[in-house]
Amino acid sequence: MIIRTRGLTKRFGDFTAVDHLSIEVEPGTIFAFLGANGSGKSTTIRMLIGLLRPTEGTVEVDGIDVIRHPRRVRDRIGYMGQKVSLYQGLSIRENVEFYAGLYGLAGAELERRWGALRERFALSQAEREKPEDLPAGIRQRAGLALSTLHNPRLLFLDEPTAGVDVRSRALFWELIQDEAGAGVTVFVTTHFLEETDYCDWVSFIDAGHLIANAAPEELRRRYSDGYRVDIEGVPAERDRLAALLPGGRIEATPSGLQLVLPTLEPAALAALERLVADHPGTRVRIEQPSMTDVFRRVLAERAASGGEP
Amino acid sequence: MSGPPIQPLVQLRGLEKRYGGRPALRGIDLTIDERQILCIVGPDGAGKTTLLRAIAGLLEVHATEARVLGYDLTADVTELKARIGYVPQSFSLYRELSVMENLTFTARLHRMAEAEFAARSRELLERTGLTAFADRAAAALSGGMRQKLAIANALLARPALLALDEPTAGVDVVARAEIWALLERERRDALILWSTSYLDEAEACDWLIYLDEGRVVASGTPAALRAAVPLELYRAWGDDARTIARAARALPYVQGARAAGRFARIEVQQRRTPGVARVLRDLERLPGGTVRFAEQAEPDMESTLLALAQGLAG
Repeated sequence: MIIRTRGLTKRFGDFTAVDHLSIEVEPGTIFAFLGANGSGKSTTIRMLIGLLRPTEGTVEVDGIDVIRHPRRVRDRIGYMGQKVSLYQGLSIRENVEFYAGLYGLAGAELERRWGALRERFALSQAEREKPEDLPAGIRQRAGLALSTLHNPRLLFLDEPTAGVDVRSRALFWELIQDEAGAGVTVFVTTHFLEETDYCDWVSFIDAGHLIANAAPEELRRRYSDGYRVDIEGVPAERDRLAALLPGGRIEATPSGLQLVLPTLEPAALAALERLVADHPGTRVRIEQPSMTDVFRRVLAERAASGGEP
Repeated sequence: MSGPPIQPLVQLRGLEKRYGGRPALRGIDLTIDERQILCIVGPDGAGKTTLLRAIAGLLEVHATEARVLGYDLTADVTELKARIGYVPQSFSLYRELSVMENLTFTARLHRMAEAEFAARSRELLERTGLTAFADRAAAALSGGMRQKLAIANALLARPALLALDEPTAGVDVVARAEIWALLERERRDALILWSTSYLDEAEACDWLIYLDEGRVVASGTPAALRAAVPLELYRAWGDDARTIARAARALPYVQGARAAGRFARIEVQQRRTPGVARVLRDLERLPGGTVRFAEQAEPDMESTLLALAQGLAG
């Protein structure tokens, strides 16, 4: 685990902002951390990156005890806050040089690193511009590029897509998924629930407690009516399909069959693949439950069980 | 109390607004006949705020025609303003006043009768869940509660038109659902104009307009806009959606690809597509990614807004 907290607690006077929080983040994954304003999200992040000392509990980031060595942690991580920390009045290139100086990155090494980032993040045209003259989407890409300048193994992104249009958001998530593909761990907060689908794990904090903590697929299994698979053209295959897809419900429709599966396991996909291969002309359509609906149900069940909404 | 609505509620032709030399709105044509929730979407700087402010009678504008609730925007708009509720992006109520004091202050501005105010404020506090916080200073409310107070305040005098500038930006999921539910009930009594960057809100509204560079680029029901999008959406299902997405991006005609749960969503511009059969075959044979099977999907709101942002549609 690259992040591990045990009983992490922060009290401000009588107010408990974070209450015995235990989370674990696997290396190379995208970890979505969700919660309402005032739910303890920012307090948790500040404790994880060594900016705030917990009242109780332990925090370990990349093998380092954050409480004992906060500074050592900060050197290893990349952080991008809601207000992208670019200096106004300096061009993007000058910002790069400034941050590179902080990380002791210079000369040919800096040119190589920045050259690669500039290319990947499509920042060549913006390099000479000042952040205040650039659209929010490009500013935010530049912010992400800067936070990865020193090749951190772990990135903390606090609502990186707030106030950014849909096109920039799409591109941004492609970049984040590439980072994760290259082995970087990404800890990200967002208000856009559908973005949790781009992540490997989702933790949802409410009033200092976790009310959901699982992979998106597991949340779908628990809090949705499941995947709907419509198959057109092969009603005769009903028995074979039922045998191949244990746990699912199967029903005849006017044009074929409809399956409802609690999760979409590799075995189910393989069965569908074979079905299509054996019966050319068969049409398969899969409907994945939306994470927005999943969270509606998480919150509804929470409210119904007497928890604060 | 509001009687039969004036038809059309909003009639704009060639609406323009400049700030200094910079054009913010470059000829907006918009007709709204019925009460509904109308969402305004578009990139930063598209003119969303300016359009909302113009319709709320808060700006001097030029137009061939500009009527809102029957009032001419280029003439005296004092009466119009009394019939409009406007919620700006930044919190604009009195922070040091309590929830109830803020509402009382607004009631006085509208010269509401005492009994009417008592009933209406009680109803709105209840519907916003703010009853227990009536005596709390606005500054001490959470972001979501503050936003609900701003909306309750705008609804107090039963406006015929409500203009909300990104009322759910930065608001948590719970408060966001509550705000939506609050306004959904209000759409029978008022025309609600709402700017947003949330896909689910854009999908749930009755009518959607997409603004870019001060122009209406597209306008229609969410379903109609989705149907018209010149982008093909594919899903490639497999054991490792992220690897599939990365491999798909290497196909020359692919516009974008991201792993979304158990599949990679892949967008292809209609004018660059080699045909559905070919795309599906290419996806099923992607190097490195084990695609179990690929399907074409109906474009969703995300693809629709992406296509509009790329200037492909409209």
